[in-house]
Amino acid sequence: MNLRQKILLMFSLTVILAVAAVAWTVSVRVRSMFESLDRDRTAALVNQFVHEYERRGDEVGQRVDRMTKDERVARMAYDLAHGGDASMYVTEAAALAQEYELDYLELLQPDGSIVSSAQWPAHFGYKEPAIASAGQPFFLKEEVLGQDPSEIGLFVVRAVPGAESGLDIVAGERLDSAFLENLSTPAGSSLYLYRNAASGFGAGSLIGAGGVVADAARYAGVIDHARASGGQSSARVTTGDGESLNLTAIPLKSANGSVIAVLLVANSRKELVEAQQHIRAIAYGVASVGILFAILVSLWIAASVSRPVEQLARAAREVTAGDWEVQVPVASRDEVGLLAEAFNRMTQELVSQRERLVQSERVAAWRELARRLAHELKNPLFPLQLTVENMIRAKKMSPEMFEEVFTEGVTALTDEIANLKTIIGRFSDFSKMPKPQVTELDLRDVLTRVIRLYQPTLEQREHPIEIVSKLPADPLPVSVDAELMHRAISNLVLNSMDAMPEGGTLTITAVRKDKNVRTTIADTGHGMTAEECERLFTPYYTTKQQGTGLGLAIVQSVIADHHGAIVVESNPGRGTAFVIDLPGVSAGSGESA
Amino acid sequence: MCRWSAISKGMAVLWLASACTALAHTRPRYGGTLRVETQADPWQAADSIGRRLVFDSLTRTDGSGAVQPALAVRWKAQNGNHRWEFWLRPGVHFHDGSPLTADRVQQSLERSCKQCPWTSVRALGDSLVFTTASPDPVLPEELARSEYAIAAEDVAGNPVGTGPFRFVSNGNYLLSLAAADDAWQGRPFVDAVEITGRRVVRTQWLDLSAGHADVVDVPVEAVRQAQQERLNVIQSGDCDLLVLSVARNGVLAEDARREAVALAVDRAALYNVIFQKQGEMTASLLPDALTGYGFLFPVARDPARAQGLHGASGGATLMLVAEDMNAAMQLAAERIALNLREAGFHVQVATRSMNAEANGAPDLALKRIHLESADAQAALEQMLAAFGQTLTDESADPAALYRQEASFTQTHQVIPLLYLPRSYAVGARVHGLRLSPDGVPLLADVSLEDAK
Repeated sequence: MNLRQKILLMFSLTVILAVAAVAWTVSVRVRSMFESLDRDRTAALVNQFVHEYERRGDEVGQRVDRMTKDERVARMAYDLAHGGDASMYVTEAAALAQEYELDYLELLQPDGSIVSSAQWPAHFGYKEPAIASAGQPFFLKEEVLGQDPSEIGLFVVRAVPGAESGLDIVAGERLDSAFLENLSTPAGSSLYLYRNAASGFGAGSLIGAGGVVADAARYAGVIDHARASGGQSSARVTTGDGESLNLTAIPLKSANGSVIAVLLVANSRKELVEAQQHIRAIAYGVASVGILFAILVSLWIAASVSRPVEQLARAAREVTAGDWEVQVPVASRDEVGLLAEAFNRMTQELVSQRERLVQSERVAAWRELARRLAHELKNPLFPLQLTVENMIRAKKMSPEMFEEVFTEGVTALTDEIANLKTIIGRFSDFSKMPKPQVTELDLRDVLTRVIRLYQPTLEQREHPIEIVSKLPADPLPVSVDAELMHRAISNLVLNSMDAMPEGGTLTITAVRKDKNVRTTIADTGHGMTAEECERLFTPYYTTKQQGTGLGLAIVQSVIADHHGAIVVESNPGRGTAFVIDLPGVSAGSGESA
Repeated sequence: MCRWSAISKGMAVLWLASACTALAHTRPRYGGTLRVETQADPWQAADSIGRRLVFDSLTRTDGSGAVQPALAVRWKAQNGNHRWEFWLRPGVHFHDGSPLTADRVQQSLERSCKQCPWTSVRALGDSLVFTTASPDPVLPEELARSEYAIAAEDVAGNPVGTGPFRFVSNGNYLLSLAAADDAWQGRPFVDAVEITGRRVVRTQWLDLSAGHADVVDVPVEAVRQAQQERLNVIQSGDCDLLVLSVARNGVLAEDARREAVALAVDRAALYNVIFQKQGEMTASLLPDALTGYGFLFPVARDPARAQGLHGASGGATLMLVAEDMNAAMQLAAERIALNLREAGFHVQVATRSMNAEANGAPDLALKRIHLESADAQAALEQMLAAFGQTLTDESADPAALYRQEASFTQTHQVIPLLYLPRSYAVGARVHGLRLSPDGVPLLADVSLEDAK
């Protein structure tokens, strides 16, 4: 990961964490606020229900009280008290219920047996346990109507007055959708009533102001919990159309304390959900802007920090590659700018040091050259001097002696002058290496010529040297000066010969290596040390007793002029291999690879 | 002395005059229109009031239940009661003037024959010969039933009969009949009868009280109330059997389950409360008054045993339908359902339309079967025929009848509950109204007080 990416990641994380923390805090606060609102709303609805319940209860009580004073009812009570036939009144309850606008009405004898029932006419003769609730102002009761789903009603029990009354009245109003319709519920809130005391959950028993609640099964859990525990229960559900609701279930109990119904308050969490979504959206937006800002900042930082650093790194690589004169721009006065300035000073120093080194090497090379030249020249000059001195001394001798000495002296002078000319010629050759006249040819031809030239000599030596040629069947096209290349290869062959005085094997190999042509001249001679390998191509360096030390320098120069490279691999006692890489020529292109 | 004799003579004259006046009042008068209101359709059913006035059968039953000649004057059984010959009354004409012939009687009987007891009927001169597959000693009693009344149509397609009244019109549930001047039974006293059907009972009573109706229905469960309201109520003997018909498939395929149903039903509640102690509780197909052995069929319920016979709880819901939409019948059905639930059955009381939508015969049907025959054997044959059964023993011996009846009721396909009478309230101006043994008003013998 580069500096820019690290900065971007760091800034992004910082922004995201900050935004997330703020959003979470706000969300928690908003949720808390909505929950408080939800509790208040629930309490208000429950209070409204209780108020309406009490009002209805009073109303029912008043109507039943009026009924007890009805002449028909009084007559009925009197008749029954005096042994009248209760069967005569089996249909009375229905008529009275209709007249007094009651949903439930049962006329009971003092022992609780039903004389007439408006809601369940066939129930005559059975006992009505609600008579035990006489004396209460009003109470909730479950009304079981045969196979029909049970209902919940608000009931009162009244005795028809009179010392000889034989009639009690149990009457009530149904708690149904009409009851709930009278309650005003705020937007987002709903009030439901579950009217079933049976053990299982009956989906058809859950009603609202609009009738039976659809998909009531999702409320089963909270309702069952309220029924089982006898206390308030809360839950959260999601409706079929994706709306989230907070549910509060309040059990409603009958006169004997058993739970017979459950009041369910459902408050929509839509506002809270929308607020949370809004907060989330804002958080995402801010985070996105933050990340965008982080990107811009990171770009800016990259521009001001990482780019100069990259430039420094690139410059360092160029320096490594050999370009010591590279400079980096100094764009600021900060640490990076100081670093750039330091780098520039360093490269300048390197260049000047290199120049000084080159100069010193050049001086050293000149000194070495002068030393070598002096050494080379001194050798033939000393015999020259002796010869001339001999000839001067011979002048004093007889003419015959002088003639002999003069003849020997002239011969020696001529040989030594030729020797001097040779030495000077070599130096001259080295100093003015000709530019290669390249042509495209098959390197195999050059190598084959060299092998053919030296093979007889190598094989006919006292200690013969075997030449092993490993040339490919395919051509090795290169762009070289054939003559110069021949001289270079020949020099290497001669060096190998000198390295194997006791005989050995000379292996010449040529292969195509990537885009280059690699030629290897390997011998099984005495090999060289690492130090010798290091100085091998230095002009005038030689390991031979006789030699100018320019041969391998000339070979390196020739190879370099052909844009190639030469290295030496050697182990003492195991031989030496010279590896030459020359640029190959692509097939058909005519250009060097 | 003379003064006292004069006074005595004067008092005697006065007494005579008042007696004559009283006599004049009780003597039937011709004329007037008798207005009858009823809940049912006045013409549709074979035993409706209107058809009874327009059509006659070959025989009839008198007040004591004995079969008497009607359109047939005599009859003779042959071939061990396999063959019967009935001779027609001569000189009888239909209301359109056409003569009553054996051919027309044969045509009428063939039209009305659905589950008739004979296999063939043919005219033979002025007699008709009936052939039965099995000996039928009570064919004359059976022919007295209203479903075998002799009916025809005139050229205009109007129904014509031989009864005391002729058909005038029928529309909007108002049936108009006019007295047949040349009826073979003799001209009725009233000139016309107007029967308004589909009339709510309370409205009938109001009309009666207001003088707009002369004869109205009194549902059996309202008899006591009618009496309390000072209506003049006349009541027949027990002629309607309230019965619970039980299917023999599904949950009730097992005999034990059906017996459980029979044991669960509380007849006392139906009798004492719903039907206001009218009629009698019964567990037999025929009333005790007709057979004398009705008490041998136990009527008491045994809910504990019913629960035991029902077995483990559960099972499909039984559909109980009251075939009559009458409130008392609906209440009776609800009460029976309550009894059955206590025994462990799941029962739902449905209306006939609901059951039709459910596409099937109900598991339990509460129905009323009208008993026309006053002869025990004929009555049992009629009852069995109502449930697709026939008499297996043609003997009229009460023991044989009892065995056949017991054999059938023990299958618990049919659970007799109550025998109920029929009742009517009569207006003050109606005289001479009697009910037939099967509870139908004999309007032909009625006269009106204020007829001129």
